[in-house]
Parts: sequence; C-alpha cells; structure tokens
Amino acid sequence: MKNPFVVDELRVADCPSVPITKILIADDNNTDRLLLKAILCQQGHEVFVAKDGHEAIEVFREMQPDLVLLDVLMPNVDGFEAAEKIRQLAGEAFIPIIFLTSLQSTDALVRCLDAGGDDFLPKPYNSVVLKAKLDAFIRMGEMHRTMQRQRDLIAIHNERLLREQEIAKRVFDKVAHSGCLNADNIRYLLSPIAIFNGDVALAGVSPAGNLMVLLGDFTGHGLDAAIGAMPLAQTFYSMLEKGFSLQDILREINEKLYDVLPVDVFCCAIVADIDFSNGVMQIWNGGLPDGVLYRSFDGKSIPLTSQHIPFGIRNTAHFDDSVATFEVQPDDRLFLWSDGIQEATNNQSEMFGEERLLKIFEKNTDPEQLFDEVNEAVAEFISDEAVSDDVSIVEVKIVAPIDFHADRPDFIGSNPAGPRDWSLKYELRPQTLSNFDPLPMLLYVLRQVPYLRNFGGQIFTVLTELYTNALEHGVLQLNSSLKNSTAGFDHYYQLREQRLLHLQDGTIGIQLDYKGTGNGGRLKVTIEDSGEGFDYKNLENGLSGDVPYAGRGINLMRSICHSIEYLGSGNVVCASFVWGDS
Amino acid sequence: MNAPQPSLNYVALKEVQGVMGDDFPLLVEVFFTDSVKLLTAIQSALDEGNTDSLRWAAHSFKGSAGNMSATALAALCHELEGLASSGTIVGGGHLMTQLVDEYERVKSALEDI
Amino acid sequence: MSISSSLSTDGQELQINIEGRFDFNVHSSFRRAYEEPGNEVGSYIVDMTAASYLDSSALGMLLLLRDYAGGDSASITIVHCNDDIKKIFAISNFEQLFDIK
Repeated sequence: MKNPFVVDELRVADCPSVPITKILIADDNNTDRLLLKAILCQQGHEVFVAKDGHEAIEVFREMQPDLVLLDVLMPNVDGFEAAEKIRQLAGEAFIPIIFLTSLQSTDALVRCLDAGGDDFLPKPYNSVVLKAKLDAFIRMGEMHRTMQRQRDLIAIHNERLLREQEIAKRVFDKVAHSGCLNADNIRYLLSPIAIFNGDVALAGVSPAGNLMVLLGDFTGHGLDAAIGAMPLAQTFYSMLEKGFSLQDILREINEKLYDVLPVDVFCCAIVADIDFSNGVMQIWNGGLPDGVLYRSFDGKSIPLTSQHIPFGIRNTAHFDDSVATFEVQPDDRLFLWSDGIQEATNNQSEMFGEERLLKIFEKNTDPEQLFDEVNEAVAEFISDEAVSDDVSIVEVKIVAPIDFHADRPDFIGSNPAGPRDWSLKYELRPQTLSNFDPLPMLLYVLRQVPYLRNFGGQIFTVLTELYTNALEHGVLQLNSSLKNSTAGFDHYYQLREQRLLHLQDGTIGIQLDYKGTGNGGRLKVTIEDSGEGFDYKNLENGLSGDVPYAGRGINLMRSICHSIEYLGSGNVVCASFVWGDS
Repeated sequence: MNAPQPSLNYVALKEVQGVMGDDFPLLVEVFFTDSVKLLTAIQSALDEGNTDSLRWAAHSFKGSAGNMSATALAALCHELEGLASSGTIVGGGHLMTQLVDEYERVKSALEDI
Repeated sequence: MSISSSLSTDGQELQINIEGRFDFNVHSSFRRAYEEPGNEVGSYIVDMTAASYLDSSALGMLLLLRDYAGGDSASITIVHCNDDIKKIFAISNFEQLFDIK
C-alpha cells in the first residue's frame, strides 16, 4: 500500500512551474484530495495539501496560500474550526475559503458561510464548475490586493501630504501673520485655514514711518500658496525696511512671484501705502474685490477697485505699477478683504455678495463697529461654521503720526564702528529723476554709521521730505497749495506723473557730509535743485507768506533736525543732525 | 432494493481519466486503499452502534465514491449517512451488505479499465 | 459639468465649450481639450454659454491655455460670459490677457 501523501508530493513536480495562485486543499479523504489536486494543477495553480483541519492551519501558516479549500468533516479539527482559525491568521488579507462538501442540507450550507466560508463546492467535483468558481475568486483576490496596495499607497501619500502641509502651514503662518499686524490701529481676521485658501496679510513700517499693508490671496492650495508666500513676505519686508518705494516693491514682488510660481498659480493682492504725516494713501489692487476707504468726515465709502492683473502672471515688462492716490485723515478707515466674504455661500447656494457688504457700511452708525458688523453679518448669513473660516479681512484706522505705534524693523549693521569721516555727493539727472528713487541707496549708506541706525526713521523722513520738495516744487514746479482741496489733490498727483514722464531738464544734487567722534557725530544733508527757489526769508521769520511748500513737512523737520536752513535763491536746503559730544 | 444500475458512470469517469492522465491508476489504487479503510470503519461503527463514526465514514466514502463516478455506491453511502444522521443504525446491516457487493462491482469495473 | 471641443474644418480654430461649474474638477478634461488637437491650432474660442460659475483655479487653467497657445502671442477669445463670470474677469483684469466678448 502506497502512502497517499507521498503520491501527492510526487505530483507537485508535474505542476506548471510558474503557478499563478497558491491553493491549500484540506481533505481527509485521499481520493478526493488527489483528484482535486490534479484538477487544480492542471489549471495551473500551485497546490498544498493537508489531511485534516489541524494540518490545514499549519500549512496555511507556513505557505500563505491565496485560497483555501476545506472539507467540512475532518478528524481532529473540522473544517468550520479550521476556517475560523485561518480567518484570524489571514487578518485583513483577502483569502477566500471554500468548503468542499457533499453535505446537502441548507443548515449545513448556512453553517459553512457562518464559519467564514465564502462559497462551497459540492462533491463529486466538476472541473468546469470548479474552474469558474476559482477564477472568480482569484479575480476578486487580485482586485482586492490591487485595492489594498492602492489604499496603502494613498495612505502613504496622504500622510506625506499632511506632513508637507503641516510644514507648509508652519512656514506660511510665520510669514502670513508677521510684521506689525498687531499695531493698535490695525485689526485683522485671517482665515485659520489660511493654508488651504492661501490668504496672506502683511504689514510693516517704512523708515519714513509709512505703514504698508498687503492682503494677498494665492490661487491654488497648500504648498502652492506657501511657495509664493515666502518670497512675497521676504520681498515685502526687506524692501520696505530698506526704504524702497511702493512701486519698487510691487514690481519686485511681481517679478519674484512670476519667476517662482507655476503658470496657473498667481496672487491677487491689494497693497496700501499710508503716509500718516502727509495724509496720503496709495493703493494698488490687482485682482482682489473692491476694498473700501471709509471717510470719517462724510461717512462715505470709497471703493478701491482692482485695476491690475494679479501678481505673478506677467513679466516685469508688462507689469503695471501705477497706483491710485487718496487723501486720508485721522479716523478714516481702510478695509481690505479677499473674495471669501463676497463668496461666502449659505445653504441655499446664495453668495453673500458685494451688495450685502455695502449695506453694512450704509447702515452703520458707529465706525468703530464696522469690522465686527461685517464679520457677524457674514457668519450669520452662512451659519455653517466650516465655511465662515474662509474669511480674511484687514482694517486699518488712519491716525495722527504721533498716535501711530508699531514695531519698526531693527537695523542691524555689520560694522559696529562704521566709517568715521566721509562725504558723498550724488547728482540725479532728468532720466534718472523720472523713474528712480535714490533714497533707499542713500539710507543704506547712512546705516553704515552705527549711531544713525537708531535714527534711520527720522533721517529718512527728513531726506524724503527734502528730496520730495526739491523734486516736486523745484524741478517739477508743482504748487503745494493745489493739495488743499480734494479735486486739487488728485490734480496735483496727475500733474506730477505727467511732468515726471516728460521730464527733459532739471537736476537734483544730494550731498551727505558726516564726521564722527568717539561719542558723537554730525551729519549734514544738503539738497540742491535746479528750480527757481522761493523767498525763504519770510519762512525764516516765521511768516507763512506764499510758500510753495507744505507747511507741516517743514515743521516736522524742524522738530527733528538740529538746524535747517535755506540758501541761494531758496533752491538749496541744508539740514544738520548733531549728537553726542561733537 | 435498488434497481440494477450501471456501477460506474463512464462519461464522468472519462473526465476523471482526462484530468489524471498517467496518474489515473494511482488514483484508482488510492481509492481502493481508502475504500477498504472506510468499509472497515463503517463495519466497526455498525458493530459498536456508533452513529457519529458511521456518519463520518459513510459521508467520506460517499465523497470519494462520487468522485470516482461510482453513482450507486455513493447513493448507498448517502442512505447510510442519512440513517446515522437520524441517530440509528437499524437497517444498517442490510445496507452494509449491499455496499460491499456494490463496491466489489465497482472495483472489478475499475480494474477492467 | 463637462468640457467639449470641436475643431474647425481647416484645423485652425479650436472651440472649447464649458458646461456647468468651471473649477478644479474639470482640470484634466480642459487640458485634454486643448492638448489633444496639438499646437497647430491658430486660435482658440472658449465658449461660456453653458458655464454657470468660474473660480480662481479656472483662471489658472485659462492661463495654462494661454501659455500653451504661445503666451503673449496667443489668440484666445472668451465668448458668451454671464454677468457673474464677466465680473470675475473684470476684477482680475483678465481682459488684458484674453479677448473677452
């Protein structure tokens, strides 16, 4: 008598060498097992055999088959028990268990399924039925494995994505909420899901004391937004600190974003440059909804409409840096928002829209409440908290210069002692005057003097004032009395732009003269323009007279400088700063 | 008594031969070995009056008999299994005699192939 | 939402029709619509007759088309915009980049 198991083992060699599916057969009946194995081998599978339930579990553990065929009635451990144990071992892997049975009662078949069986095969075997069933399960198994692989892959990707977004969010938060957004006169609400909607708010103070505010909205989400936010914030703050003009900063931001962002990602933004001393605000809006300038004296809301293509779409040659100029007074309020407010949608798919927004301004009685009223109205409108998170809004209250308190950037130089005794002369000719701002460069030079770093703002204010006077009144022959009315104010800036554009003649000379001692120093700033000058003698006597200069500028300088005097025909002005023991 | 039937379903058996190829004699040999074991087990179960053992042995024999296309043999096993399932061995001896006779017929039919 | 396109008989003009919401969900099909005919196409018409809505990612997709069609030398006309969509183009000043009718 031959041992049937030996027979089984011998047969393995005849099976196809590259089996598709590993199948475990457990049957105590040698005849049935041998026949089934032959059928399966012929169909191209790799077959393992066991003669009872206990052995089936062992073989399963060792061989990790893809499919299990179990006889129901077996000695030691029966098919039901073995099925349960194999299910446990298989975990979440898809291992079809098919019962081999000549049991015919419904009860028995139900028990097969209850025990974790996926199907049953009746004896005697029919190779056609067998093949059809197994093929179906093998296909299901493949699908299941593919799905599992994809699920695992997605899980890995998702985890990586979440991690990247987390990093992006940290980077983004750092730059999106930085600068002097916490100044007393600024209120802002930036969507806590900023990382997902790409909103950025930046605010900083220029050396001259101007407040510059930027609200940006990147298209794209997550990393796209973070990629752009970095250069945006860096450019904004570093150029602002160095005293570059709004236009220079706008151009540079656009160029940076144009370089770094993919074609389909851009940044809608509104940028405000507020000069509290002179009551002037400049606005550049590229792609954001109308901001609002709320005027305190008549309660009117002036729309600040987008006139430009957003940042990052066109190269420098096509970038339009022209700004709208507004006169502002203390208690005026500037409101900037991204499209989150207008697009806030309620459960009837209705959008909040511009009309509702403007209604709030019309109805308002206490301007101090406007900011809250807008946010409350939007929250009430949508009533769904998930959406209300998507709102970014910034309010800036215009204040008197003396009431404006914000952290200024620290000026940190590399040379603690700095140069001790020097003079610098710089002449600007028409072509330069029309499109170049010399002040950042001059300020950079002055910062090399350690002591002057502490006075960067004041000196810059004086330089700006003197240079602006020389340019606007001296070279461009503009009369500042124009600025006394709102219409004249606009006219003044239009004229300025026109004349600058067509400038043929005129020069401005700037001389800085510095002498440092151990514990003090003296800086003399002389600015000479090619204009006609004015009768400064009246000014010296304290008479206002027909002075073409804006009075408050001069008074401000008097309060900062040690001395300020006009020379020549009034076309030369010399301001001195003296400190320490010199 | 069962009506006389062919001991083997030759059509079905042809398929089994096709699947087994050269190993068909091996399968027959294993079947003979199993059958002897199972017939012995059925006899012991009847002698001991053990319906559980009877049920298992008859069930097992039914499976292999069916697979070997021995239709009448499988039917007799099925009757025995049904008997054991109902918890009795009454009438088992008579069925056993039939079973042994039928097996001898199947055996010689298979040996003739 | 769906994107369909048709090429003029001379193969010079590709019309892309936008139906429903024009947003990130149609990113691939919009891209296929202009990439499949190849860049032999001389001019593009984006028909918004059946478009209900457009978001900023749709603006991004239009920029991709503009880039594909030659950037500053691209000839892209956007036609039949409803008022909401016109407004979005106005705010972003896309009329400087596209011929919007």
